Amino acid sequence: MRIANHKSSLIDYSKPLSFIFNNKSYKGYQGDSLASALIANNVLYFARSFKYGRKRGLMGAGVEEPNALVSLEIGGRYTPNMKATEVMLYDGLSAVSSSNPNSFDFRAMIKPVHRFMPAGFYYKTFIKQKVWSLVEDSLRSLSGFSKAPSEVDEDVYDHVFQHTEILIVGGGVAGITAALEVLNHSKSARVILVDERENLGGELINEFSTDESSFAWHKDNVKKLLKFKNEENSRLKILTSATAYAWYDHNYIEVLQTNATGQSTLSEGVQSARKALHKIRAGEVILATGAHERPMLFETNDLANIMLSQSVRRYLEEFGVISGKKVILYGNNDSIYSTAIDLNNNSINCKVIDARAPGGESEIVLKAKDSGIDVLQGYAVKKAKGTSSITGIEISKVELQSKPPHWQSKWRLNKDTQTLECDLLATSGGFNPVVHLDCHCGGKTYFDEYSQSFLPQKERKNRKVCGAVNSVGFWKDAIVDAKNKAQQTLESMGEVKKASIQPLSKECLNYYKVDRFFTPIEILNKPKVFIDMQNDVTTLDVALAIREGYQSIEHIKRYTAMGFGTDQGKTGNINGIAVAAEFLDVPMSEVGTTTFRPAYTGVDFGAMAGREVGDFFDPQRYTTIHDSHVESGAEFEVVGQWYRPWFYPKHGEDMHQAVNRECRAVRKSLGMMDASTLGKIDVQGKDAREFLSRVYTNAWMKLAPGSCRYGLMCNEKGMIIDDGVSTCINDNHFIMTTTTGGAASVYSTLEMWLQTEWSDLDVHLNSVTDQFSTVAVVGPNARKLMEILCQDVDFNKDSFKFMQWRPGTVCGVNARIMRISFSGELAYEINVEANYGRFIWDQVAIAGRPWNITPYGTESMHVLRAEKGFIIVGQDTDGSMTPMDVNMNWILAKDKPFSYIGRRSFSISALNTNDRLQLVGLLTKDDQVVMPEGAHIISNKGVSIGYVTSSYYSPALGRSIALAQLKGGLSKMTETVLVKIVQEKQGLKEIPCEVSSSVFYDINGEKVDGNE
Amino acid sequence: MFLIDCPYCKESRDQNEFSPAGEAFIARPQNPEALSDEEWADYVFYRTNHKGDHWEQWVHTAGCRKYFLVKRSTISHEIIQVSTFGEIDSENAS
Repeated sequence: MRIANHKSSLIDYSKPLSFIFNNKSYKGYQGDSLASALIANNVLYFARSFKYGRKRGLMGAGVEEPNALVSLEIGGRYTPNMKATEVMLYDGLSAVSSSNPNSFDFRAMIKPVHRFMPAGFYYKTFIKQKVWSLVEDSLRSLSGFSKAPSEVDEDVYDHVFQHTEILIVGGGVAGITAALEVLNHSKSARVILVDERENLGGELINEFSTDESSFAWHKDNVKKLLKFKNEENSRLKILTSATAYAWYDHNYIEVLQTNATGQSTLSEGVQSARKALHKIRAGEVILATGAHERPMLFETNDLANIMLSQSVRRYLEEFGVISGKKVILYGNNDSIYSTAIDLNNNSINCKVIDARAPGGESEIVLKAKDSGIDVLQGYAVKKAKGTSSITGIEISKVELQSKPPHWQSKWRLNKDTQTLECDLLATSGGFNPVVHLDCHCGGKTYFDEYSQSFLPQKERKNRKVCGAVNSVGFWKDAIVDAKNKAQQTLESMGEVKKASIQPLSKECLNYYKVDRFFTPIEILNKPKVFIDMQNDVTTLDVALAIREGYQSIEHIKRYTAMGFGTDQGKTGNINGIAVAAEFLDVPMSEVGTTTFRPAYTGVDFGAMAGREVGDFFDPQRYTTIHDSHVESGAEFEVVGQWYRPWFYPKHGEDMHQAVNRECRAVRKSLGMMDASTLGKIDVQGKDAREFLSRVYTNAWMKLAPGSCRYGLMCNEKGMIIDDGVSTCINDNHFIMTTTTGGAASVYSTLEMWLQTEWSDLDVHLNSVTDQFSTVAVVGPNARKLMEILCQDVDFNKDSFKFMQWRPGTVCGVNARIMRISFSGELAYEINVEANYGRFIWDQVAIAGRPWNITPYGTESMHVLRAEKGFIIVGQDTDGSMTPMDVNMNWILAKDKPFSYIGRRSFSISALNTNDRLQLVGLLTKDDQVVMPEGAHIISNKGVSIGYVTSSYYSPALGRSIALAQLKGGLSKMTETVLVKIVQEKQGLKEIPCEVSSSVFYDINGEKVDGNE
Repeated sequence: MFLIDCPYCKESRDQNEFSPAGEAFIARPQNPEALSDEEWADYVFYRTNHKGDHWEQWVHTAGCRKYFLVKRSTISHEIIQVSTFGEIDSENAS
């Protein structure tokens, strides 16, 4: 309910908002979180738990909340698994529980058997019994998390790159102080201050009503910060509603910021982002991330309206709401008294139960007693009563054992119990410094007995910690600590000569007098003492894990799922460690923590992708002829970012029909294709020839200017990595072509050899792929067409031979004409300066009409080359194939003086066995069956002995053809093998094939000279 | 995400711009044919996988395209030194 006449500084009561939760309408105010607005509307249950389907209410008020998971909005704006405590209210917001607490739930129905479903239940029952596949779908649908989104995200998300000298994470007292200290004492240092909440101030806001000086301090210092922020050329950036969720190497920190309106806003036609991911590179980092309160442990501690003490206080102070009328506070430290005093000031009935024995009370305890609050000291809550929400508690007196026997904790609970009524229980078991971020990138923690917490390691390069994360909990002490750390940071940056340091007392490291973890074994041995609410992990699960032999906390975590999920163990993990320590009978420090890894909180995929979606997902490369292909209605295929025409369907043809037509045209008359995407590397220098002969397997020393040669490139392991034709322009100048997809990596590899091994060679490389357009004219009538297009070159087959090139003028454009062929037909490739590409393409198309010239795409190119048995590196080879494996021994030079790259490896024994995969042809017995690429060839024992790498229907042969890698294939010619394929509606089928040569068409190479 | 000083560009740039290129100072043998299979395998496959300060090659792929040397701690990922190939070799590297 909302507290009448509450003076919350953060709620704007003049701005009512309406919203929908679980299909019911509610009202809230500007400044409310979804959680606080629902408390105001007396909503008690927010979701059901993950495993047991137990109804759960709120436990926290911010990022620490494990239970209240909701999905926000619907359709293209649907966002799953948000914490209701972190969603700030906006008008029209709609949310549903990740698992609806108000509808029928199978998991909750089987409550009596929950005790037989401890950690490991699903594994032992289903996976170990090998029936998981039968039940997986139905079990997964029972889990308590939101459904995955099914629609494309409508919103936009931004990436923002930030650079700063100092990054301060946490905008509470310590963060604000550190920022001001830096800005006041440095003239140049830039500062970014990040806080996950909408308003700066952190937990200090909780002190406002009880300590007026805190309010004044906050007002004054936030004003000073804003003055710095609003200066011209401001050095200060403040990011609020922004969570620093990951810290990577070299002080690279990622921060997710939520647009305060909760949605993308459209202004002046520009859509602003729903969330922004800030990528911050910082010189120095000051962590002021604060601490999370940890709950106390007792039976059925997961009932609704059992909350953290400081969260109750935050709801009260910041939002002016409370979810009970009769409150009991329970804990082992002084912080519960501050909540009690607050409640008392607001005339809310409350009682304190302190697990610590009486004696040595702090001022605040006496103050609480003086103001008439009922205080019971030396009592423990054994059990919470109630079915789904709390109605009362059972308590017992705690007795300390002077010398507890092995396996028993130092406490003993009196058998006599009393029952107290309440409708809200707020607990505090101490504080866990938020060390997560510090540990993402190598930071370690140590257990500090004095403050009973895991603290970040004291010294780390370029990083300081201050405030509650350093266990300096009281706000006035935190100011001193933050000033000191800011001074030390300035000193290490050379901004001040000597850091001025104010002393801190030892007592301030445990200001709230947190007693040691309260883990009486009688309580831990009860069922339903929940440690991790989000993953339904109980103390007995930890005990079971230990009984089954898991000793390390990392193993216990994985066996029980403690600390998994979006919660990442914020409230539960440290209690879990304490419980494990109790069961293992070792000190906390020996158990240690699990490893903290990014991300600290859930990060939207949309935010990770940023604007790099849709058309901006990957760069798209087009040739200069691209528009013509689009006009011709080509279908495209993406090859290493290039958009290559795949085939050119005409008059409603499907791919098969179009490819057959294109292939026939090339084989019978004339085809043309855009070959501009092939990688081209300009190789110059007096050692260019020597260089080529080192990186290719064949000989290059005698290749004359005017000639071209095919080369095969291997790595030192002897495996094929690329192939292509290189052209000798003159003795010091070659143009190498590479595969379209391999251009960048080949170029990089060649540079590596030149720069790191052969710096003595006079060779320079330059990528010229984009500088040339290449039009291939292919088919028996190619010569006739070229003679029309180009008058200054003699195309006679005896003077311009296969694998030669000539400079010439094509339609008035300077060109290099290469007579090379990837189809076996007579073919010329016209290379012109890239901008003439479209012009030459059009001229070729017009001049070729008498021979019905047909443009063809990559699919036909593949069919034509497969008919000739030409390999495609990366399709017919996979990085584990030697030239011998693809039957290309002919290309291995025997007498080159330099041991070229890969050569030595060819003789190692493993590459010379008979059972290696070798490239062969496959002819299906039923010549019309085209097998899918990737289909496995199986032995008579049903084991894979190879696979199909290329498979097409060959129009020239009127049958299917395939290339395959087959174990020992080269010695299995004419044998029959079986290929296993899946056929539509027929299921698995074995296709008998004959092993053949990989050359299917024009075996003797008679077509290469074309028609006279 | 490392921040790497390119010794050629003389600028500190994000790791995005660079590619790693393996352990440094693995010289290609002068006469591979004279090596046993084991010796050849040692050059092709085996690396020290050193824990501690490690010399390695990087290339400024999206920048000057130059290969250079980086001394990096494989424990903390701190980059201790960068160098061009001329300045440092296996003899004077520490």
